[in-house]
Amino acid sequence: MGGITIGYFLRRLAIFFLTIWIAATVIWLIPRLAPGDPITAMVGRMIQQGGSVENSAAIIEGWRERFGLNDPLPVQYVRYLGNIIRFDFGYSLAYFPTPVSQIVGQALPWTLGLLLLATSITFLLGNFLGALMAWRGTPRLAKLLIPVGMVFTSLPSILAAIFLLYIFAFLLDWFPLSGSYGRGMKPGLTLEFIGSVIHHGTLPALAIVIVSFGYWALGMRGMMITVEGEDYMHLARAKGLNPFYVLYRYMVRNAILPQITAFAITLGTLISGQVLVEYIFVYQGMGSVIFTAIRNQDFAVIQGTSFFLIVLTALAVLIIDLVYPLIDPRISHERS
Amino acid sequence: MNLRFKRLFLAALLLVFIIPASVQVFAQDGSVAREDTVIIDIDSQDPIPNPENFNWLVPGTARNQGAHQLMWEPLFILNYETGEIQPWLGESFTPNEAQDVWTLKIREGVKWSDGVPYSADDVVFTFQTLLDDETVTLNEAANTQQWVESIEKVDDLTVQFNLKAPNPRFQLDYFSVRIWGNNNILPKHVFEGQDPFTFTNYDPEKGWPLGTGPYKLVSASPTNFVWDRDDNWWGAATGWHALPEPLRVIFAITGSEENKALLMSDSQLDSSMNITLGAFEAIQARNPNVIAWTDSLPYAWADPCPREISFNTEVAPWDDANLRKAISLIINRNQIVEVAYEGTTTPSKTLFVQYGGMAPYIDAIVAAGMGANPDGDVPAAQALIEAAGYAKNGDGIYEKDGATLAAPIEVNQNSIEYVRTVNVVVEQLRAAGVDATAQPLTETTANDNRGFGNFGIAYNWDNCGSVNEPWNSMNRLNTSFYVPIGDRASGNNPRWNTEGAKAYSAIVDQIGVLPLGDPQIQPLVLEAYKYIFDETPFIPLVQASKLVPFDTTYWTGWPTQTNNYNHPATWWNSTHQIILNLHKAGS
Repeated sequence: MGGITIGYFLRRLAIFFLTIWIAATVIWLIPRLAPGDPITAMVGRMIQQGGSVENSAAIIEGWRERFGLNDPLPVQYVRYLGNIIRFDFGYSLAYFPTPVSQIVGQALPWTLGLLLLATSITFLLGNFLGALMAWRGTPRLAKLLIPVGMVFTSLPSILAAIFLLYIFAFLLDWFPLSGSYGRGMKPGLTLEFIGSVIHHGTLPALAIVIVSFGYWALGMRGMMITVEGEDYMHLARAKGLNPFYVLYRYMVRNAILPQITAFAITLGTLISGQVLVEYIFVYQGMGSVIFTAIRNQDFAVIQGTSFFLIVLTALAVLIIDLVYPLIDPRISHERS
Repeated sequence: MNLRFKRLFLAALLLVFIIPASVQVFAQDGSVAREDTVIIDIDSQDPIPNPENFNWLVPGTARNQGAHQLMWEPLFILNYETGEIQPWLGESFTPNEAQDVWTLKIREGVKWSDGVPYSADDVVFTFQTLLDDETVTLNEAANTQQWVESIEKVDDLTVQFNLKAPNPRFQLDYFSVRIWGNNNILPKHVFEGQDPFTFTNYDPEKGWPLGTGPYKLVSASPTNFVWDRDDNWWGAATGWHALPEPLRVIFAITGSEENKALLMSDSQLDSSMNITLGAFEAIQARNPNVIAWTDSLPYAWADPCPREISFNTEVAPWDDANLRKAISLIINRNQIVEVAYEGTTTPSKTLFVQYGGMAPYIDAIVAAGMGANPDGDVPAAQALIEAAGYAKNGDGIYEKDGATLAAPIEVNQNSIEYVRTVNVVVEQLRAAGVDATAQPLTETTANDNRGFGNFGIAYNWDNCGSVNEPWNSMNRLNTSFYVPIGDRASGNNPRWNTEGAKAYSAIVDQIGVLPLGDPQIQPLVLEAYKYIFDETPFIPLVQASKLVPFDTTYWTGWPTQTNNYNHPATWWNSTHQIILNLHKAGS
């Protein structure tokens, strides 16, 4: 069955659920270990705005009671587990009465659009350049330029973002300084709006691409060099095959397999990894939601977003484990 | 082979440069021209995750995204410059002689933006909702239930508030935008029958949210709120005021200070939130049309919450009033102004914000020798420390019984202003021999620690409140708020509960029932302040600085010290005044 047995599939599925349960427990526990709570944070925000809040102790106690934060921790935990099984994360504690699902649902498309595109470009570009660096047929000039371009890889994404903002948004005025779309624009499926979204997303995407493509390029280059010494490579060349054919069918196809695994894992973690890029560009995605939720100690949103990320990562790893035998015929779970 | 490579390279170039450039052609910002649009920074660095919630009854709901600057008009607005309470939707608000019955007269002709008249029914409905909240968790429910016994409609434009006790500040505190916000009146025909806890007051098809203001919400996202002018606004229809000139106002989250500076330099933002002097000067260098409250230093407007350091007076060694006084004497407030604020503020002389209306009280306190010394007096401070049994060790730090005089100062790390100030104070204390350290904490932890009394020394602005009368700030230290360490306090975070504190509170209670401006108030303030001066439960540091830049490229008429129709806080409910005062540049 394509290298997969029923036993392996069930075992893998059990590990998937176990991973999610452990991670869900950790994300429930960690915010509660920190001092303070979301209600105090909410009243703190009100104090920041109004200078003071009269009867703040009564307000805090009232809302703690309303959200069940005065219940014993085991009661809160069981209620939480019951809710997440139904994918119900309740209301945001900091932005009541907005449901967590609405907050996530509103931010997710922006992040997925930006980061899936940026990460895919990074993956393709990085592996392409990595392959070129190791390939004998690459012009010498390109071999010199590629490592120079990878200098950006050593920059933190936040610095790259500021650098790009200054050059392309402020000095050249090619791109907007912030936001996800034009300020006065009404969202909708119009050419004008889609154009604005692409225009606003270009710099954030570029900030992600230029700091991370080197990671893929270096990994690919290493794998290509390993593959280069394999016997089948000598055979291919001895057969007089077209160099592009050898590059694609013999080298890249073999070298890219570990990169695909890494890509699957990256897909799960990319949202949490680009929080600062979204912050700098004032992009209304999941990064901003997570950042704000952590600042406000909004347990419900932290749990909701983290749970989503955990499921995404676990699912990506599960899928890649299951389809790997299809990508690489050498891998088979049938014998085990 | 090389040719193919070149083609690939060219294609990549096209992808990177040509496509974004072509996209720019389509990226117009809606239908209203920039010169008809005002863009104002929202007072938040974080996007607003629930942009479709406009139910201010729920605590924490955003109101400063334009809702209370453009849509929800206040009944009255306190003019910080004149001290006068100016009518807006309200015409008058008068107390009886005992100050426990207040009668509100509403202006005639006010309408909600859907055309329904704004009436006494809306006011009664709003306050009855707050009175009926048994959980006391709705915004303003606790205050309302603390003061209001009942509310009655007298006629369509008159409402009577029957209070539980005399309150001469009832109008000032809850209806005049004393600080930031106000009790905004709810449209009864929208909120009636809704659950006040879960209703979001957002349904564009029904025209919600609605208010009485001259702008209507067009779109709301976590980072942008677009408001277009309502040409049927009651103010213009009744001839009370002409329509505001801006056709559109956008409230936007602009992120970091660097981003605000770039946007203002490029005239993409007409009003930014508070920024540092360095950023302001950088903006002015690129965009000379940018102005601030004053033309030269301090540039900034003082917001009403002076910065201070509080002691937990029940925790050793800060239960010793002489040691508290010593710390106060060490602090050089002028140096804080120069180093932490780069000259954009002034040293605090007393507990109070230094507005014109507070000057008589401040001057009297200073004249009585109880003002804070702007330069400090280190020798006098050291004498007090040594009198408490401390001696300097080899490192020049005071020590007693083998333990140094440790002064960890807790500070909310969210603001560079707070941290900078505490760092200067720490250096001053260490130079004088106190083992001081800065303890940066998250905002929540810092607030929790002060609320529960889990601190020794903390930076804060807990006595914020007074702007034109002294009671509000003085009452923050009232022993009526006292709770033991471990219980959450709603005031008096220093846990000041000595005999002196009780005597102080008794005087403050006397002030509390006197009419505003009563001549008896000043001598009582002096009498009470003596207890603060003697026991030093907190230390006044400096006035709060808000450097709010305005761009005059597209719009003029921004509030400044010379055009001072009111203060420049664009995040307050009083911003309605600013919008009505804006004029197109060159018009």
